[in-house]
Amino acid sequence: MPRYGMVIDLKRCFGCYACSMACKTVNHTPPGVFWARVLMGEVGTFPNAVRQALPMLCMQCEEPSCLEVCPTGATQKRDDGIVIVDKDKCMGCKYCIMACPYGARYSVDKWESYFPDGLPLSPLEEFQKKAWEEKSGVGVATKCDFCIDRLAEGKLPSCVEACPAKARIFGDLDDPDSEVSVLIKKERGQVLNPEFGNKPKVYYLFPR
Amino acid sequence: MAVASKTDVKSKPQVKEDIWIPTSCGQCYCMCGVKVRRQDGIITELEGNPDAPTGRGHICAKGLASPQLMYDPYRVNYPLKRTNPEKGLHVDPKWERISWEEALETIVKKLKECQERDPRGAYFQATTTQASEIRFGVIGFMKGFGTPNYWVSGGGLHCGNGAHFMNGIMHVSWSIIPDFAHCNYALNFGCSKGHGAGHVAVQNATQVADARARGFKNVVFDPFQSAQASKAHEWVPIRVGTDGALALGLVNSLLNEHGIYDAEYLMYKTNSPYLIRPSDGRYMRDKETNNPLVWDLVDNCPKVHNDPSVTRVEYEDEAHEAALTGKYTVEGVECTPAFELLKEHVKKYTPEYVEKITWVPAATISRIAKEFGEAAEIGSTVTIQTSKGPKKVPRRPVATHFFRGAQGHTNSGWTCLSIDMVNHMVGAADTYGSALGLGGSVGQGYEPTGKPYQIPYPCPDGLLVAKTWVYDHKPYPMRKPGPPTRLDLHDMFPTSIYNAFTITSPRWFEMLERFKIPYKPDVMLNFGSNSVMTMGNSEAVTENFLKKFNFIFSFQLYITEFEEAVADIVLPDACFLERYTPAVSFPSTFSHPQGEDDWGWTIRQPVIKPLYERRDFNEVMLDICERLGIHGKFYKGLNDSIGVRYGGEMSDKYKLVEDGSVKHTWEDITDRLLKDRFGDEHGLEHVRKTGVFTWPKKKEDVYWKWFNPSRVPVYFEYFIDSGEQIDKLWNEYGGKDFFDFDWTRFKALADWYPCPTHTEENPEFDMHTFYWRAVMHCNSMTQQNPWLDECSQEDPNVYAVQMHVATAKEKGIADGDKIWMENPQGHRVRGWVSLSEGIEPHHLAIAAVAGHWGKYMPIAKGKGTFFNDLVEMDLEHTDPLTFNQDICARVKIYKVED
Repeated sequence: MPRYGMVIDLKRCFGCYACSMACKTVNHTPPGVFWARVLMGEVGTFPNAVRQALPMLCMQCEEPSCLEVCPTGATQKRDDGIVIVDKDKCMGCKYCIMACPYGARYSVDKWESYFPDGLPLSPLEEFQKKAWEEKSGVGVATKCDFCIDRLAEGKLPSCVEACPAKARIFGDLDDPDSEVSVLIKKERGQVLNPEFGNKPKVYYLFPR
Repeated sequence: MAVASKTDVKSKPQVKEDIWIPTSCGQCYCMCGVKVRRQDGIITELEGNPDAPTGRGHICAKGLASPQLMYDPYRVNYPLKRTNPEKGLHVDPKWERISWEEALETIVKKLKECQERDPRGAYFQATTTQASEIRFGVIGFMKGFGTPNYWVSGGGLHCGNGAHFMNGIMHVSWSIIPDFAHCNYALNFGCSKGHGAGHVAVQNATQVADARARGFKNVVFDPFQSAQASKAHEWVPIRVGTDGALALGLVNSLLNEHGIYDAEYLMYKTNSPYLIRPSDGRYMRDKETNNPLVWDLVDNCPKVHNDPSVTRVEYEDEAHEAALTGKYTVEGVECTPAFELLKEHVKKYTPEYVEKITWVPAATISRIAKEFGEAAEIGSTVTIQTSKGPKKVPRRPVATHFFRGAQGHTNSGWTCLSIDMVNHMVGAADTYGSALGLGGSVGQGYEPTGKPYQIPYPCPDGLLVAKTWVYDHKPYPMRKPGPPTRLDLHDMFPTSIYNAFTITSPRWFEMLERFKIPYKPDVMLNFGSNSVMTMGNSEAVTENFLKKFNFIFSFQLYITEFEEAVADIVLPDACFLERYTPAVSFPSTFSHPQGEDDWGWTIRQPVIKPLYERRDFNEVMLDICERLGIHGKFYKGLNDSIGVRYGGEMSDKYKLVEDGSVKHTWEDITDRLLKDRFGDEHGLEHVRKTGVFTWPKKKEDVYWKWFNPSRVPVYFEYFIDSGEQIDKLWNEYGGKDFFDFDWTRFKALADWYPCPTHTEENPEFDMHTFYWRAVMHCNSMTQQNPWLDECSQEDPNVYAVQMHVATAKEKGIADGDKIWMENPQGHRVRGWVSLSEGIEPHHLAIAAVAGHWGKYMPIAKGKGTFFNDLVEMDLEHTDPLTFNQDICARVKIYKVED
C-alpha cells in the first residue's frame, strides 16, 4: 500500500494559479472554495523584495487535527494516508475547520452561482452543482483529497497534471526511489509549520 | 433585450457520454493543444494534450477556465441590432433581437453598397486572441472583397510593432527566446516569457523551470516584482522605457570596456565587415556586381561579401578573415567596416551616462556586461547530430529577450534592435544555447512533402530574408514607400505593421483628402476585438475613428464596450470550442515551441455543436461571401495566403476551387490543407484523433545559424534610404501640415530616444505608470470569466495599482485607498492602491486590460484600472520608426473623493 505525498518545488512555482483552476474544474468547487489555493505574498524590502507564491492544499497529515476533533467519524484516514470526509457521516459541526492549522477545509451552505442577477444556473453550473452535492455535499466539511477519483483511474491529481512549471510532484513517500522521496531527501524538503505536530505529507522545496 | 433571458439557460444533455476530444485552446494566442472533456453533452474540463508539442500535456489557468466561456449566461446567443441611432461611449444601444436572415441581409446590403462606392471602404478589425481564425476568415474576405484595410486589436499598443518587425529582420521570427534547454545566463528586459504569459506560455514555463533547476541564471530588468522578476537570479529595477539605453550600455561595455565580442560570428554571419563609405553612410559596392564589399585581410584587397574566400556557411568551412576594424581604401575612398562604426558609435553609452537614464547603477551595468560576455563562452563549440551527420556549431549559452515591456514605447524599434544587438555581439543567435527565433520559424518541412518549407535565404546584399512570413509583406527586404492607398496611409511606412495615430487623429478625413485617398471608411467588420478598450484613449478612438464608419457589424462572444458604443449589428460568434480551424500552431508565431521538440501542426475541431443561435465566424464569413458572389475569390485569397504563410503553394490536387463552382466547408478546407502538407493518408480523419500532426525537427533547423548562408545587419544601411524615401513622399503631399516627423530616426546605427514620460518637466506629474500582463488574463475578454476573476482576487496585485510603501507614506496614501491617476493631457483613470516593497518607488504598476464598464460583462465590470485611457493617440506618443504607441505615462495622483 503506497503512502501518498506531494512535493511543491517553490523554486519552480511562479504563481500562475493553474493548480487552483484545475482543482476548481475537476472538483467543482463553488465560489470562495479553493482546495488548491495559492497565497501570494512579498518578503524583504526594496530593492531586495521578492514576491513569493505559496500553493496550499490539504497537507494530508499523518496526525490530522481534523480527524482528532471529528465527533462522528466522518473524517477518516485511508490506508494510503489520504484524509477524506464521509459526507454522509458529517453533521456539519465545523470543528474540523477550526482545528485545521493549515486552513484547508471549507464548508458551504449551498452551491451558489458565480453570476449576478439571480439567473438560473448555466448547464455547466448545474452539472457542477450536482457533482458537488453528490461527491462533497453542502452543509458539510470538504477538502482536497488528492483527487482520489483520478488516482483510481491511474491519473495524477489535477493540480499536478496541470502545473506548467512541473512544480508539483506526487508519489509514494514509502518508496525510497519515488521522485517525491528522492527530492525530499536530496533537496531537504520541509513541511510547513512542523511545530504544529501534525506531520504533513506535503513537502516544500524552498529557494536557497 | 435578448442577451441572457431566464429561459435561455437550460441543461440539455444530449447523450450519456464521457469523452475527451483533442483540439486547440483559444483563450489566448498561445493556442496550446488541449483535450476537452464532454460529459452528457456538457463541456466540463480541459487538460493539456500530451501529443501536442504546443503544451505537451500542460495547460494554464486561462485554458482550464474555458468551460465557463462556453456557458456564460452573458454570452451573445442571438443576432442583435442597434435601435438607438446615437453612438458613443456609455450610450444605450437599445438592442433588439433579430433573425440571422435579417442580420445577414442587412450586412450584405451594406457591403454591396460599399462595394459599389469603393470596396476599400470595408475595414476589418480582429482580435489576436483568435489569431488562427484571422488567417482564414479575415484574410479570405479582404482578398476576395478587395480591401487592404485592417487592424489587429492591440496592434501598435500591446502587440509587437517593434518586436515582430525587428525580430523578423534579425531572426526571421515573430519574437526571440533563450534556448532554455541549454542557455546558462539570460537578460530579460521586462517580459513574461517563461513565466506564464506571453508566447508559447506553457512550454516556456516548463522549460524555464527546468533551466532554473539546473542553475540557469536569469537577470530581470523590470520596474517591479513581476512573475519573472520574482523568479530571477537577480532583479534589477529599471526606469520604465529605458531598456534600449541599458542595452546600448551593455553593448558599449562589452565592446569598449571588456573587449568581449565574437569576431568569427560578426565576420561571417553579420554585415559587420561590410565597408561603409564616409560620404553618405552607404555600403561600398562592387562596380560589376553591385554587391557590398568587405576587406579580405589575407589577400589584402576588397572582395564582394559572398566571395567564397571570405564566406563561411557552416562552422567548419574555411575562409579568409575579413576586416572588422580599421580603415581601407577602395577606389580612392577611405572606407570603414560597419563594426568599427558601431563600436565607435556606442562609446557614448558609458555606464555612467546610462545610469542617469535608466537608474541602473553604472557598476551593475558594467558587471552584468562582463558576466554575460564571459557566460557566452566565445569560441566554445558543440557537435550536434544533423540529418547530414554530426556537425560542429558554436555553443553560446547566453541570450537577451524582451517583449512588450521593453518595446511599448516611442523608442520601440531601436530598443528592440539594441536588446538583440547584445546577443549578436557575442554570436548568441540561433545557435546552441543562444537566443532563438521563437516559434521555430526555420524548417525543411515534413520530409515526404517538403512542406511547410521555411528556410530563409540571403538577398543580393547577403542579408537574411524570410521564406515564410505571417504577413504578405516580409520584414526584409523593406517595402518601398509608395503613394498611400490605405486608410491609415500604411503604404508609405515600410517599417510599421500598424499605426493608430493617423486613423484616430481628429484630422483624419482632412488627411485622407490631402493624401488623395479617393474613398472613406465605410463598413467595419469586427471579429472579437474590443478596440474601445484596446487601442488607446477610448474617447479619441470612439469619436475620431469608430464613429466615422457608416455601418459596423461585429462577431462577438460578449457585448463589450465596443458594441455598446458603435456596433449596428452584433452576431453571436461560436467560441473556440465550437469550430474548425485548419491550422493553429502554424504559421510559427506565438504558439509553436522553440527548441528540439517535434514539429506539431495543430487544428481546432468542434467539441460541441454551437449552442443557441451561435455560428462560427469563419462559416458566416463564407456565407456572406457567397451572398456577395465573391466566394471563389475568397478561396483564391486563401490559396494565395496559404502559399505565403504556411510554407508552400497548395498543389493542384488540394487547391480550393477558385471559380465559385464549389462551396468548401471548413471541414473540407482543413482536410485539404492537411493532406496537401502531410500526404493523402494524413487528412482530417487521421489528425482529428489526436488534434495534431507531428514530425521530427532537424537539429540543423533548430540551430540554423551556421547552416544558412545569410547574414544579419548590425548596421542598418537600408534604413537610411527608407527614411529619405518616406521623407520625400511625405513632403510631396504636404504631410508636415499634419505631423512633423523625425525621419532622422531612419539611420544605420541604434540609439535610445526618450519618451514623453522621460521629458515631462512639470513636477506635479511625478509618477511613472506602466501596465503589465497578469498571468490569468489575455487581452480583455478573460476578465469576464468568473473563475479567472476569482483567482485574480486571490492575487493582491491583479486588480490593484501597485505603489511603493515609502511613496505612499510620503503622499499620505494608505493601502486600499482609491486614487486618480491623471496624465499631463488631462486624461485620468482610477484604481485602488496595493502597497508593495517590490516596485521602484517612482513607478505605479497596473495590470491590463481591466476596468470594464459595460453592463453585459458584469463579472469584469468595475474590476481593476483601465490603463489604456492614459494612452495618448498622437504622434508625440508614437515611435516614428515602427509606430508603436507609448504605454508608459507620467501621472499626478490624488485621492478619489466620493
